[in-house]
Amino acid sequence: MKINILIAGLLLTATTLFSQVAKPIEMPYVDYPIEAGDHDEVVQQYCLTCHSFGYMLNQGKKSRPYWTGTVAKMVNEFKAPIPKEDQQIIINYFVKHYGYEASSGH
Amino acid sequence: MDQFSRRNFLGAGFILGASTLFGKEAVKPIVTETKAFVPPMIAFPEKKPLKTISDRPPLLESSRDIFTKAITPNDEFFVRWHMPDIPTYIDLNTFRLEVKGSVANALSLSIDDLKSKFEPVEITSVLQCGGNSRKYFSGSGPATHGVQWGHGAMGCALWKGARLKDILNMAGVNATAKYVGVNGLEKPAIDETPKFFREMGIDEALTDELIVAYEMNGEDIPYLNGFPLKLIIPGHFSDSWVKMLSEITVMDEYRKSFFMDVAYTVPDNDCECVISGGDFEYKRKPIAQMKVKSVIGYPTPNSVIKKGSRIKVSGVAFDQGKGIKEVMISLDGGKSWSATELQKDYGKYAYRQWTFAWEPKIKGEYAIMVRAINRIGNIQPLPGDIGWNAGGYQYNAVDVVNVKIV
Ligand code: HEC
Repeated sequence: MKINILIAGLLLTATTLFSQVAKPIEMPYVDYPIEAGDHDEVVQQYCLTCHSFGYMLNQGKKSRPYWTGTVAKMVNEFKAPIPKEDQQIIINYFVKHYGYEASSGH
Repeated sequence: MDQFSRRNFLGAGFILGASTLFGKEAVKPIVTETKAFVPPMIAFPEKKPLKTISDRPPLLESSRDIFTKAITPNDEFFVRWHMPDIPTYIDLNTFRLEVKGSVANALSLSIDDLKSKFEPVEITSVLQCGGNSRKYFSGSGPATHGVQWGHGAMGCALWKGARLKDILNMAGVNATAKYVGVNGLEKPAIDETPKFFREMGIDEALTDELIVAYEMNGEDIPYLNGFPLKLIIPGHFSDSWVKMLSEITVMDEYRKSFFMDVAYTVPDNDCECVISGGDFEYKRKPIAQMKVKSVIGYPTPNSVIKKGSRIKVSGVAFDQGKGIKEVMISLDGGKSWSATELQKDYGKYAYRQWTFAWEPKIKGEYAIMVRAINRIGNIQPLPGDIGWNAGGYQYNAVDVVNVKIV
């Protein structure tokens, strides 16, 4: 199930900017769809601090080792402060909604 | 950096500024399309609608048809940042480029200083993300890590600015200096995340061709391409073409950093690829010079073309700066090859546009392939032959576009 399907066509033309020195730019905000269920709130709590959900959707369906490795990279390399139990919840969420069970592979 | 303390950050306010138009319709396979999700096409400031892989940080991919032009228009040029906190306003009255570290005189340069105190130079050069075309790795091997770009994380522009060398000479580099570090104004959301910091050897920094650009195609650099200053390193992948360049630090010693030593690295062997085992079992080296490459701009994948139409197949080719010698085309999936016509030469670091007149006479499915060779004999590998690396960097295999003649 997808949530957050947005109103199409609303403000697509509103963002053109001609003199960048005059005033702050206004950035569009994209409401990427996040599948609900299996503790998506934990994912939303921890995984959207540094980048949008577009990063995850862009990966396509990935294996359990991939999601385990990616969550570990976010924690170890980029210092995402996520408790161990929540990391496991997040991995399970991604495997179920954006992946598949497999012991190896990408 | 108190002059920026009043800045707003991209994404900080989450004000609904645009709509998304995403469809769930299945896309017809290009060569390999591993994703079901189709990113929305959204117009960001100073940009036409581009494929919005992410809004924060902005990752905007150009569409394939820009490769019918030798110069990429600013409003269609791809966008790629790493960190979510990017100032949304830069006051040129207070903005300064700081040059510091192992130098005789630290400098603090305004944009006016850069324009008036240094000889302006211009160079036309391709700007290509190290991960450009990454998704095509999954056509011949396992999908790789990283943002799954198509070919649209590259463009070619005329850059104008001051030579980095002239700036460093004005500061007076110490005899002990070995490295030059560069960084811009993008910042991570939390302090512990590694900063986007890049380094190069002092010899490279002092070559003639590196410029601190303040203009792109005759205009201010678009905000999302790094206004007001961007470092230009012709012939090199764009990982060190720092946007919103704000600091140049001359150093006597190398500084270890995630974005130099882990990201943007490949195995340090001849093929810069994994032969067996895991990628990170290899000694690393940073990606640097680009590899010979050509892509098809027209026709686009899955085009349906009427039999007997006279069409101009076209695209661009480039390399690390040795110059393109020839671009060959195959219309039968690689069995036979013919020469294309090379168009105007904008310089050795620029796109070389190529064209080929085609009048398809027989109905059916065609795989159009192009293959470039440069003046020192570097040739693009066929898709099945490209070496694989886990980061998905430096993809340059022969481009394939499937079309249908009816
Ligand atoms: C502390 C900041 C931070 C948090 C929190 C974070 N990430 Fe990331 N993430 C990053 C950075 C930095 C990158 C690389 C950015 C770039 O190069 O554009 C990245 C990249 C990614 C990518 C792109 C693929 C890749 O390997 O580079 C995916 C997928 C991803 N993150 C998933 C997640 C998931 C899932 C979570 C929640 C567990 C998460 N991130 C939380 C910082 C973070």
